[in-house]
Amino acid sequence: MRRLLLLALLLLAACKPKTGEPLDAKVRFVPEHPSVGKAEICIEVDPDLELAKIEVVGDMTHAGMIPVEAEAHPAGPGLWRVEDFDFNMRGDWVITITAYDKSGKKYQKEVRLTVP
Amino acid sequence: MKLLDLLRFKPLERFVRWRYSRFVMQVPLLLVALLALYDGFFGRQLAPKNFATVSVWLHYRGFLVLAIAVLGNLFCAACPMMLVRGPTRWAKRFLPQFAWPRALRNKYFVIGLTLLYLFAYEYWDLWESPWLTAWLILGYFVVAFVVDALFPEGTFCKYVCPLGNFNFTLSTVSPTQITARDPKVCLSCEGHYCVNGRVETPEGRKTLKEAPDAEGLRFPGCETKLYVPQIDSNMDCTLCMNCVRACPYDNVAWKLRAPLIEAAWARYKTDVVWLGVLLFFAGFMNALAMVPPYYQIAERLSALLGTRNEAVLLSTIYLLWTGLGLFLTVGVAALADRISGVKEPPAKAVRFWGAGFFPLAFAMWAGHYTFHFLTGWATIIPVTQQALNNLGIYVGEPDWTLAALVPENWLYPLQVIILYIGLLAASYVLFRRARARNSFAAGAVVFLYFFLLVALALWVLAQPMEMRGTLLLPQ
Repeated sequence: MRRLLLLALLLLAACKPKTGEPLDAKVRFVPEHPSVGKAEICIEVDPDLELAKIEVVGDMTHAGMIPVEAEAHPAGPGLWRVEDFDFNMRGDWVITITAYDKSGKKYQKEVRLTVP
Repeated sequence: MKLLDLLRFKPLERFVRWRYSRFVMQVPLLLVALLALYDGFFGRQLAPKNFATVSVWLHYRGFLVLAIAVLGNLFCAACPMMLVRGPTRWAKRFLPQFAWPRALRNKYFVIGLTLLYLFAYEYWDLWESPWLTAWLILGYFVVAFVVDALFPEGTFCKYVCPLGNFNFTLSTVSPTQITARDPKVCLSCEGHYCVNGRVETPEGRKTLKEAPDAEGLRFPGCETKLYVPQIDSNMDCTLCMNCVRACPYDNVAWKLRAPLIEAAWARYKTDVVWLGVLLFFAGFMNALAMVPPYYQIAERLSALLGTRNEAVLLSTIYLLWTGLGLFLTVGVAALADRISGVKEPPAKAVRFWGAGFFPLAFAMWAGHYTFHFLTGWATIIPVTQQALNNLGIYVGEPDWTLAALVPENWLYPLQVIILYIGLLAASYVLFRRARARNSFAAGAVVFLYFFLLVALALWVLAQPMEMRGTLLLPQ
């Protein structure tokens, strides 16, 4: 019983979940360090990866905050762009980029930044 | 004035008298806690999209102040942590039993724990981590179990639980209170069953205190040792309704009362008043920690002390602010005493005038929680859907755009109204206390102090929000 409890505790301690299929992408912001207001997000992916769609969701790190959602548009080989992404509050942001390839397979990347 | 006894409403009385009534109230919160544990440990580690963080930091806190304002300390009544009672009764058979140390039978220990908790909240950014929130819930259950297993029942609620003591303090301004229907009945009561418990044995009625192992129908008494005819405060009352069930004379009432009657007249112990004072300043700090001036203070302090160590900076800011608050409170209370011509130690002055902090503390936390609750109340729907879907119980696709309960531009005016009501309530308490001393000038001095504190709080709440986990920006 004691061993089982110990095992359960160790499992709980180790169970910080992982994200799904990783997306290999470079993410840039214009301006480089966005402040409150609109900013551009550039996503560079491997041009050989035939993507159908990229969704960008910005969440703040406090419960109850409504996400900012946008769809990226292709802007060249392997380059996708979101214009006017609205960083509507100061603080820590988590940008989740979800890409779908033509077969519907999902890739994800998370970028964290602080909007001063 | 004859006030309404809620237990005269028969369906409610029948429910309260039912031995499983508390259990029925605890089960929903236990399920919420279990789902929060599951999603906190296994769900997506993003606060706005996790059931643990949304339910704990948004809805639990929001509903808690609402329940206290409308009715009373219902969240202690429904506390799922007290479901450890079954296992602890079993564990008590094998474990040594201790009395809670006499030196800790006051609120100073819980004041220390509350400060530690608030430090941890900011230092580890508990609000942004579902994983740590889940550990906090689990830790709470473990501590409740350990304390309840080793010490007398009620020790955890009365002397250890920061959350329970937060509820006790805010419920001093609740509109209901447990009291005796007819105090004369209590005078002739042979067993003081409301506090000692009752057991109906074949040999007759006994108290659980004198016959703890007797066979028969058992009705536990008040775990926090409140004797019903002497209750003049909601402090330490968990609304468990044990007293209602234990009283064989049907003499316990749950009465409506004027919400400020307690703060205006009750004679609180010094430690209880300090808890109220601390909760006001801690509530202020909790709100301040989410706006830009706080980060500017941290940057300046960092330059002054020559350190970027967040623990050092955070503790310095907390200690300076609460220390300054406590120092000013002592000074203002002592000054009011001097003006009213009363010569007594400063601690007694705080005991007398500090009662005005109870409505103020309530307003400070209510104003802050209202903002978060109303901003994102509907997010509980998609996070619940997501957590249940992950569990394999499909309840539809989450809609993450579900949002605020009221338009965003209502929020600040609403907070202003709440703080004004708090100030008005505090000034009524001061007025009654000043009248008792026959010195309105003394009350006016304390009022001026409260007015400045509320003005400062309104300034903080008017600042743009900055939800940042790091105290200092990277260099």
